[in-house]
Amino acid sequence: MAKLLPFRPRIAVGMGTCGTGNGSEGVYHAFADAIDKRGLDIHLARVGCFGFCAQEPLVNVWLPGRPLVILHRVQSQHVDEILDDVMMGNIPTALALCKIEEWDHITAQVKYGTGYANIPSWRDIPFFKGQKKIVLRNCGLINPDDVEEYIAVGGYQSLYNVLIDNRPDVVIEQIKAAKLRGRGGAGFSTGQKWDFLRKAVAEKKFIICNADEGDPGAYMNRNEIESDPHSLLEGMLIAGFLTGATMGIIYVRAEYPLAVHRLERAIEQAKEYGLLGEDILGRGFNFNIELVEGAGAFVCGEETALINSLEGFAGRPRPRPPFPAQKGLWGFPTNINNVETWYNVAPIIARGPAWFTETGSAKSPGTKVFSLVGKVHNTGLVEMPLGTPLKTFVYDIGEGGVGGRAIKSVQTGGPSGGCIPHEMFDTPVDYESLAQLGSIMGSGGMVVMDEDNCMVDVARYFIEFTNSESCGKCVPCRVGLDKSLRILNRITSGAGRMQHMETLEELSRYIRDSSLCGLGQSAPNPVVSTLKSFAEEYRAHIEDHKCPAGVCGVQPVGETA
Amino acid sequence: MITLTSLPLAEADQEFLDKVIAQRGGRPGALLGILGKAQDHQPRKFLPRETLEYIAAKTDTPLARIFSVVTFYALFNLEPQGKNTICICRGTACHTRGSRELLESLMFKLGFHDPDDEMADKISLNTNDGKYTIRTVACFGQCALAPVVEVNHEVYGHMNEQTLQRELEHLGRETAKK
Repeated sequence: MAKLLPFRPRIAVGMGTCGTGNGSEGVYHAFADAIDKRGLDIHLARVGCFGFCAQEPLVNVWLPGRPLVILHRVQSQHVDEILDDVMMGNIPTALALCKIEEWDHITAQVKYGTGYANIPSWRDIPFFKGQKKIVLRNCGLINPDDVEEYIAVGGYQSLYNVLIDNRPDVVIEQIKAAKLRGRGGAGFSTGQKWDFLRKAVAEKKFIICNADEGDPGAYMNRNEIESDPHSLLEGMLIAGFLTGATMGIIYVRAEYPLAVHRLERAIEQAKEYGLLGEDILGRGFNFNIELVEGAGAFVCGEETALINSLEGFAGRPRPRPPFPAQKGLWGFPTNINNVETWYNVAPIIARGPAWFTETGSAKSPGTKVFSLVGKVHNTGLVEMPLGTPLKTFVYDIGEGGVGGRAIKSVQTGGPSGGCIPHEMFDTPVDYESLAQLGSIMGSGGMVVMDEDNCMVDVARYFIEFTNSESCGKCVPCRVGLDKSLRILNRITSGAGRMQHMETLEELSRYIRDSSLCGLGQSAPNPVVSTLKSFAEEYRAHIEDHKCPAGVCGVQPVGETA
Repeated sequence: MITLTSLPLAEADQEFLDKVIAQRGGRPGALLGILGKAQDHQPRKFLPRETLEYIAAKTDTPLARIFSVVTFYALFNLEPQGKNTICICRGTACHTRGSRELLESLMFKLGFHDPDDEMADKISLNTNDGKYTIRTVACFGQCALAPVVEVNHEVYGHMNEQTLQRELEHLGRETAKK
């Protein structure tokens, strides 16, 4: 705690990938140099990302006994001025975005202090209003490279309690009672999955964290790992103990070098502190976690493809059954959960299932982190209770379109999802409601489209993506997507015909119904949903040779084309 | 069958690979890790045939399987990469903010004038002079900075044709100096 609330001012620079992409590395070094040169008594730290990507670089400033203040859009030239203010016991108000008086880390509470009547509380900033940070409870507030800060906010306390109590059955029942569902998109009950693994009898059992976040337009998992890697380790350790797994594996995208680096560091530190490895916390529990980097294949996010990849094969899916819980990695029972699912484990154990089900909807309790990006005013990572209407995301949190432009649609669920038209923005965001609209919640990507985006082009874009990422194993996906792409190319170039719309629908049905894995089964969603809600845009391309948004290079072509 | 025409690996390279294989062999994801390290070890960031053959022999894996893995994953290269790598993000947020136009103009500037043939989602193109490689990535996860371009592993956000052009000119000068 002496690091989080030292007896001297603390300045913490947000250093997630978004922050560094906006120049926070330079800001951090400017602070370090200036503090050093002026010999100031200030605690300087690196933290993860607080989620408001559009306002990066974010810097937290804390003076003992006062609220934590988040400064936004800080550049190196501001550093001297900020330090002058801080040494005088002041806050650079011009740069202040908001203040935090106390913070609920779920596993612990931190009281920063009171004061600064003229700075708005973080809850009163539109972007944060209504957000409930369970998964992101530590992100942007603690140093991800320092296990002591994680422990200071109640980290590893849940693991400790689970080990001391030593009643795995009871804890699995609690996870079931909390109705925690897989956050990778499929929404299967996490407690049930763990129960399968616990009951499986085998010489070895594996648990895997799927951090192969491949959906374009989604980066929740990257930020979660970069900002708070120990929460992931704790979730896996708890599940390891409960299910009797012998090894944990984190399969992470190689495109996320900082996440890989932070995890390596976290694993090292957890081992040093006796939280990972042999005889954990002196309770005779042995568990190791291996880190494996992917190599750039979207389909490896599918669980059986991921297993093939780990075994040293091309990442092609296998038919299910047998499910991984029966026959997974090297034939042993295996449980796979998405990154975000693991982040919910320690909070549920700390506060109990009844607390967890208070948030969200009856069928889907808890929160979900979304990456709100595209043509929206406020972009960033947003954690909201499940069941929040889509319009809250777009108009309240996101504050509408860029420069007041009209928003046409929101694309959810990445290449497996669909485009939800403006008229449907009352829809609550949860697993079932989005599926009813022909989209999915998926892993949490939300890309906002305005009148300058062509929906036919968006469909074409996703089919181009899934077509090139298709592993080629089964015919419907391999051939069907290729055909769909050719048709969409004809439409966007002005050589489409009216019957193409019907053909696309028919093809989509075949691909959806007969593909081997989730990639193929959901790949037609972008086409089907745009055909349904934006048919007039298709017609404009085909009949009038016009792209209403002015995106596609439509050229009138004769009937022979 | 492994042909006898390929050159044996230099001793230092063999030692390096032996070490990597000893470290990772038998663990989950071993082959991906070994291939990744082997590629990073090469100054031109690719996997020459003799390296693949050596790994096949030492890990007791059929060369065909290794080739299948190398060609399946986008991160592995069978050809030497350019001195500078420019990677354009083709994620959804970048796409809605014009990354396709950026890619097309970059390809045109570096001499790939026939985009119809080469326009695929996954691109890895090397210029003949060995100076540049153009790649695409599905998503860097930096969507709030869209459109994003990575130049020699450094990420630049909010790119447009002018800033990309400036970056190219800068790279041209730097490469000429070397």
